[in-house]
Parts: sequence; structure tokens; C-alpha cells
Amino acid sequence: MSGNATKTLGKGCAPPGRVPEGTMRLYSMRFCPYSHRTRLVLQAKGIKCQVVNINLRSKPEWFYTKHPFGQIPVLENSKCQLIYESVIICEYLDDVYPEKKLFPCDPYERARQKMLLELFCKVPYLTKECLIAMRYRRECSDLKAALRQEFCNLEEILCYQKTSFFGGNCISMIDYLLWPWFERLDVYGVADCVDHTPTLKLWMAAMKQDPAVCALLIDRSTFLGFLNLYFQNSPDAFDYGLTC
Amino acid sequence: MSERSARSLAKGSEPPGPVPEGLIRIYSMRFCPFAKRTLLVLKAKGIRHEVININLKNKPEWFFTKNPLGLVPVLENSQGQLICESAITCEYLDEAYPGKKLWPDDPYKKACQKMDFELFSEVPRLLKSIFSRRDKEDCSGLKEQLCKEFSKLEEVLTKKKTTFFGGYSVSMIDYLIWPWFEWLQAMELSECADHTPKLKLWMAAMWEDPTVSALRMDVKAFQGFFALYSQNSLEAYDYGL
Repeated sequence: MSGNATKTLGKGCAPPGRVPEGTMRLYSMRFCPYSHRTRLVLQAKGIKCQVVNINLRSKPEWFYTKHPFGQIPVLENSKCQLIYESVIICEYLDDVYPEKKLFPCDPYERARQKMLLELFCKVPYLTKECLIAMRYRRECSDLKAALRQEFCNLEEILCYQKTSFFGGNCISMIDYLLWPWFERLDVYGVADCVDHTPTLKLWMAAMKQDPAVCALLIDRSTFLGFLNLYFQNSPDAFDYGLTC
Repeated sequence: MSERSARSLAKGSEPPGPVPEGLIRIYSMRFCPFAKRTLLVLKAKGIRHEVININLKNKPEWFFTKNPLGLVPVLENSQGQLICESAITCEYLDEAYPGKKLWPDDPYKKACQKMDFELFSEVPRLLKSIFSRRDKEDCSGLKEQLCKEFSKLEEVLTKKKTTFFGGYSVSMIDYLIWPWFEWLQAMELSECADHTPKLKLWMAAMWEDPTVSALRMDVKAFQGFFALYSQNSLEAYDYGL
């Protein structure tokens, strides 16, 4: 994957050209958890991809031709086909690049992974609300309690299955789809919400050993630098930590 | 064999036995639009199945062993495997059973259908809100929102220039969104599609689909259900039986 550590394109920037044959392009933002999902899948499957980062506070006009509401992530291929919604992109990539399948082949196991994703669905909202509340020094004990409950549900699954990962004893799609929010627990200030879920903590430790997760791990101080600038409404937030 | 019109099972009922080999079981409710999705796919693919209707206001205790949230639809196969969430059940059936594939084989076409399907996501919530309001004056704002959501779908059909959301024949996305359009007439909301002519043509085409017409629910039956449901009657789910 090339280009993740590149400056964002903002208003007034020229649109990028056609995506070269044999590669994909991902419109992304270095700190976005949804983009992170798709970057993990690209990395895990070894797919040649160019990343174009978008300044989400000052979006280039042409970006609305890639997504009707200017959201990321968006995948573009060399046939100018556009795919958006992180889960749809991940599934598309797994279909188009069938070597190193991340979703299981068995229909019931595939369905189980999708049901697990449903079980997880409140976590992105809750972690984001906790982050915002803490940044604005608001009370958030109810939110944290709700988040802990969601983690208990996931803990139960892992305990029942007695497997290292959510899909079995090997890492698979569901683990990558959940991971970005767990990587952010610390910088979002909610790491203590996994204190009572030891199996989930073990899963997190196992995930940190995965080559794709490792390759994309975001440096803690860089992330905090981004968050500080983001909450100060600085348009430079998205490029924090880049030297060129 | 398909006991679609069987009385619902309630608290105190005996749990059903294992699912016989060669069949798949759906835990359902005759008027539930989410369960209707799965029933449409079962029919469209010609899958042998048995239906157990659940009284959703008085759920059998054993039903929570099938789905801890106690929601329908749930699929159970002869291996005892359970699948929940309507869209997931539909995709499972398409993958597990041979015959006509409802999701396209082409990954990009499938992704496009899934992206278009996202545009429908507000409709169930809006219809449910309108349904639960007792005084009709309150609904004008909601109806306006519904019209806006229909416009999004109209745009898809306009861009695609095809009768159905997936192309020239019925496919998964059409079945996934259909049950709420079946409700429109019963809820006297047909006028919300007045400004979306392509959507109206799609509805007419859907009524002609053999699967849709085979599972068609009578408007009077819907209205009877709505009336009893609004009164919190436990009999609502078996209206008409």
C-alpha cells in the first residue's frame, strides 16, 4: 500500500488521474477507523493500492464525484468503478481477490461473522461519544457503562467459543472489521472499559501480533497530536505527524 | 408443509423438536416485514421450509434460546445452526442453496446493490413511526420524510434505467425492500409514492412477480392486524386465522 503517509488533498487541489491498471485507489484519512478497516484488508490480502488522503474539513470539490456526501473510505478501481461503505468495500475486495480469503467459505460461518458484526454495532458510536465527552470534560459514566456492557457481550462470545479470534483460531475478516476501535481505546481514554473482560484483552494482544495490524499500527503520540488539533478545529489536524 | 398460516406459539408452549433433514425452519410472524424478506427468498429459491409463527407480545421462553434478543426472523437448519437478522438470513439462503442466485455473481454489481440498499435504511423506521402514531395530524412531517426517502430510490431507478433495482429482473435488493411497499396500501400511504413514477412502476412490476404474488397478504388482514396491535391485543398476530 503506498501513499498512506502523504498529505491530504483539500479544496482547490487538482483531481488525481485515472487509477493505473492492476492497482486500486483508496480515498482515506490516516486516523479514520472506517478507512482503517479497509486498509487492514488491503494489507492482509497484499493488494496493490494507492492511498489518497482527503482533508475532511476542506474537501476537494471533485471528491463529491467519488462519493455523493464526500465520505471516506471510497475505493476506486482502474475501470473507474467506485465502492463505498467500509464493510461493502471489504467484502468486495475479498470477492475480487480470492487468494487469501478473509471471510470463511462456509455460508453458516460467513453468516456468523456478519451476526458478530451486528453485535458490535453500538461500539463505534459509544467510543466516539466517550471521546467527545471526555474532550469537553463532560460526564460520561453512563456511556462508559454502556460500552463495558457491549464488551461483556463480545467477551461472552470468545469465552463460549474458546478460540483466539472471533472467527476461530486464525485471524479473519471479523477481527479486522472490529480492530480499529480497539486500537483507539487507549487514545480515546476508555482503555479501562476492557478491565473486566480478560478474554477480550487476550484477543487484543493476539491482534497486535498480526502482521497486517502491526504494519498499520498508529503511533500513540501521533494519534494524540491529531486528536488535539482535531478538537481545536484545526484544518492541519489530518496531516499531523507528516514531515513532507 | 409451509405452515405460513399457522397459529403463533406463545408463552407456555412446548418447544419444537429438531428440524428434520432436508428442511429449514423459519421462526416468523405473519405480518412482520423483516420476516417477509426471508419468506420471499425461501419462496423465490424454492427452498423446502417449515414456518413457526411466534406471538411477539407473549414470547415462548424457549424462543430466547433461538435468538437471545427474541426477534424474528430466525432460521434454524437440521444441524441446529441458527441464523438471525433478516438480511443475513437472506444472504445465507442465497449462498447455502443452489438454484437462482439472487445476489449478482459479479463483485462490483453485488457491491452496487448493497450500496443502493443502504439508501433504503430510513424507510422501516419511518413507517414504524407513522404506524405507531395514533393521531394522524402528527404524521405530516414523517410522511414528508418518507417522500424524501422514496426520491432517493427514484434516483437509483432513473440512473439505472431498469425496471428493478438490480436490473431487468427481480433480484435480492427488490425482495429486501419490498415488504414495506406492500404495507403502503394497507397504511393508506400510497400517495407518498405519487411523486416517484418509476418507483410506482417498480411496485406494479413487483406485484406481477410470482413470488411476491404467492405471498401476498390481504390489505384487510393487515388492517385487522394493525387495529388489534394498536390495542396491544395478544390476538393481533393470529388475526384472520
